[in-house]
Amino acid sequence: MGLSVSMLPMKVVLLMLLIFLCYSVAYSSSSSETTMHTNNWAVLVCTSRFWFNYRHMANTLSLYRTVKRLGIPDERIILMLADDMACNARNKYPAQVFNNENHRLNLYGDNVEVDYRGYEVTVENFLRVLTGRHETAVPRSKRLLSDEGSHILLYMTGHGGDEFLKFQDSEELQSHDLADAVKQMKEKCRFKELLIMVDTCQASTLFSQFHSPGVLAIGSSMKGENSYSHHLDSDVGVSVVDRFTFYTLAFFERLNMYDNASLSSLFNSYNPNLLMSTAYYRMDLYQRHLEEVPVTNFFGSVMKTIYTDSAYRSWSNKKIRAAKSKMPLDQSIFDSDGRVLRKSDEEDQFNNLTAEDYIRDSVGQIWSAILSNVNTFESTDTFVCYGLVLMLPLLIFSTWLSSK
Amino acid sequence: MLAASAEEEFSEELLLKPLPDRKILAHFHFRNEAPLAADSFARHHHLFPKSISQLVQKFHIKAMELSFTQGRWNYERWGGFDPISSHNAKPPGVELWAVFDVPQHQVDASWKNLTHSLSGLFCASINFLESSTSYSAPEWAFQSALGSLRYGTLPREAVCTENLTPWLKLLPCRDKAGLSSLMDRPSIYRSFYHSQRLHLIMPTAVSDGSKSGIILEQTLTVVLQPNNQKASMNHVGETKIQPSWSLSSIFGRKISGRCVLAKLSNIYLHFERGLVTQLDNLQKKSSKFAANDTGLTWKHPVVWSSSHAPLYASRFLMGSGNERGAIAISLKSTEMTKGLVSANNVEERCKLQVNVLQIVPWYVKVYYHTLQLLVDERPQVLADFVERMRVSPSEDKVSPGVMELVLQFPCEMKSAVLSIEFDKGFLHIDEYPPDANQGFDIPSAIISFPDFHAGLQFCEKSQSKSPLLSKLQERSPVLSYTEVLLVPLTTPDFSMPYNVITITCTVFALYFGSLLNVLRRRVGEEERLLKNKDAKKAVFLRRMLNKLSAKLRGRPSESTPSPPSSSSSPFVSPKLILRVLMVAGIAVAWQYYSQ
Repeated sequence: MGLSVSMLPMKVVLLMLLIFLCYSVAYSSSSSETTMHTNNWAVLVCTSRFWFNYRHMANTLSLYRTVKRLGIPDERIILMLADDMACNARNKYPAQVFNNENHRLNLYGDNVEVDYRGYEVTVENFLRVLTGRHETAVPRSKRLLSDEGSHILLYMTGHGGDEFLKFQDSEELQSHDLADAVKQMKEKCRFKELLIMVDTCQASTLFSQFHSPGVLAIGSSMKGENSYSHHLDSDVGVSVVDRFTFYTLAFFERLNMYDNASLSSLFNSYNPNLLMSTAYYRMDLYQRHLEEVPVTNFFGSVMKTIYTDSAYRSWSNKKIRAAKSKMPLDQSIFDSDGRVLRKSDEEDQFNNLTAEDYIRDSVGQIWSAILSNVNTFESTDTFVCYGLVLMLPLLIFSTWLSSK
Repeated sequence: MLAASAEEEFSEELLLKPLPDRKILAHFHFRNEAPLAADSFARHHHLFPKSISQLVQKFHIKAMELSFTQGRWNYERWGGFDPISSHNAKPPGVELWAVFDVPQHQVDASWKNLTHSLSGLFCASINFLESSTSYSAPEWAFQSALGSLRYGTLPREAVCTENLTPWLKLLPCRDKAGLSSLMDRPSIYRSFYHSQRLHLIMPTAVSDGSKSGIILEQTLTVVLQPNNQKASMNHVGETKIQPSWSLSSIFGRKISGRCVLAKLSNIYLHFERGLVTQLDNLQKKSSKFAANDTGLTWKHPVVWSSSHAPLYASRFLMGSGNERGAIAISLKSTEMTKGLVSANNVEERCKLQVNVLQIVPWYVKVYYHTLQLLVDERPQVLADFVERMRVSPSEDKVSPGVMELVLQFPCEMKSAVLSIEFDKGFLHIDEYPPDANQGFDIPSAIISFPDFHAGLQFCEKSQSKSPLLSKLQERSPVLSYTEVLLVPLTTPDFSMPYNVITITCTVFALYFGSLLNVLRRRVGEEERLLKNKDAKKAVFLRRMLNKLSAKLRGRPSESTPSPPSSSSSPFVSPKLILRVLMVAGIAVAWQYYSQ
């Protein structure tokens, strides 16, 4: 009788634990932290028309070139240029756009694909691209086909002001419209994380109305401040680049695809004295710490591949090898959208496995599986959940022991 | 009738031609052919671009031509009679025509979807051709005999590297090998005239008339000036040596190797008949041809002129002001017409047939009854010269105005001018483009001479295997495009909506503000307020007494005004104090009696 009485609260505890586990598992499967980062998109918008706004085109094309160099292909870039500068009759260097006086870099290059051109760059088309609400006839190359695992970089440049951005001197995009569009995008699971970069006057007012999670925004100036151009090219005849973009580019030109520079180093690289304005960024809607987010999460598309000559071995052997050689299974492998192929010279040692090795291997397999699951955690409550699952057999065992 | 072969073929050719005014014409010709077996719907292509075959199958295209052009073809200097100028001298901007194989009521929907797909494929805003105000259906021009044809142009479309990039990606070797690796973008876009063209044909088999394949022809025509003579523009009359050039000097690049996927990869150098006769006359070695890096060095000055179309066609606007104007098409005779006259028999009347197609947007409201013809500067009756005429008047915001004319002129005519008057219409404020002050474009008119066929003839027949040469030998009517006209329309003051809202709100504010003031405020109210303040001390009791006496006497109360409730009463009014005291008294009494 004493046993049954003491068993009762234990049973109740077990029941409660089970209910809690089910709830937490259900909760964790619906939370967004478990969606994997699948691809990167870039939407680059230049909203200014006319020859004297050459620098806005050069800004956008500089970002285009950077983003292409760091790995995002043309299919995942939507480039909107409101006017044609490269083949403009006023351009002394046809088919060439420069962002520096030294003319070292031709931003236009040989392979440029512009999705929205000229009169098509309107507020309506921009919002249609963001929300994905197009007419049926619109071709795929003009659509933002992102999914819930996409990281999107949205770069806008032109003339702007307090809570608006001017499109082609005839209409404006207001900050609450942009916030609504981003809210729609989040509801439709069109992005996992969004980085908005704005290079206009009073740029940070444009994202003052955002309230969707997963959004990070940086603007070149605060309310009441202007953003200035960097220098004038006396050969071309107009200013060729804006300060904010110039220093952004100076940061990226030092990088290649596999560098680990973080977003916080990018954001801290802006010097208000050089920019002549304060680059203000907003991270209250963004959960991760900026030190752990590499810039290639937004500006590039990193796939790490290791070349191997011999045939590809099965995945389980690779994990055993990983567990044996204690290679760090950290986020550089699992957080980027890459698949890692191991080096081939380690495979020769697989050929001499004995029976004990096989048992050890299976234990190692389970252990490495557990390790891999542990390392994909991005929040503590899923960790707690898994911890509880592990504790359950222990609990049952202890109750059985105590009942003896 | 072109027949497709049994397997896919690709050939690339380049034609170089020195022009009389010290420039060079470079014409790239890429031809890609794919057979269409009747029993298979799906097909793997290994040379033919999949995007084009999908386009053809999805929209049931029978024939299509899309061209991107910048610059104007100079018919006087560069010739108007040869096949290159007839096929490749295109109007500036984008020109698209397509013939569909669908029932009549579906053609417009197919056209709309086609324009969208092409805009995505070629990075241009061809989707603006979807609205019915920008395309039309001419009946006597192009290849309308094939079926339902739709035609549209965008004169203001910019053409740059982003249009060439996807065009080159349709080639099997892209721009990495073969002749297309010559295409240095700055050299092309620095030229006087450049036009990239895509022509799709579905030839029918000779036996049963079914479609036997798709032929895709891509051409790029560039008129360049060699580098060493960039600064000077000389008249043709001056005898200066023509500039020497080579492929690497005009393009800045060398051909690394041929495209291995091409069946044929050739370079041709074309000397016109006029040039050849001049060279023969000189009887000296006046030019040297280099084979490795194809080029030409001139040793002696030579002057020649290209063969011209029967009439020079040009177009201009007349009139001034923002209300009305007139469009005039002028046709002038050339040496060729003079040649016609002299070669003609005296008894027969030599007639020159001219077809005119003009499409005018709806906001340029043309009055067709004002069409006037002047031949040799004397006004004529239209019916004497017009053989046939088809007019499709414009409808506001729905369709443009199309005019097709077939005229017969005598060969000895010197000049003719066709003029027509128009009124300038108004656009809704939303319909203006962002740079509205530049003006609006009237697309080029097309003048064709069906009696004449632009086709070269070669002495040897062995070159018939080359697609470019067979194309040059094809008989096709001589075509000329006129200029694009820029019409300034009245633009509204775009800040007016803001001004209207501001002034309306001000007027409303003033009106309602003063109205409220008048209704609510009473005259002399302030004096009454001051008076009441003095009488405030015993006001309550006095009022009660007054009321009582009035009731007793049965008269209305005196005009002692009660203090208005909106006056600024002190926080603690006497009434309130009395009430509080009353309640307190009742409470005390209750307490006393309940105990």
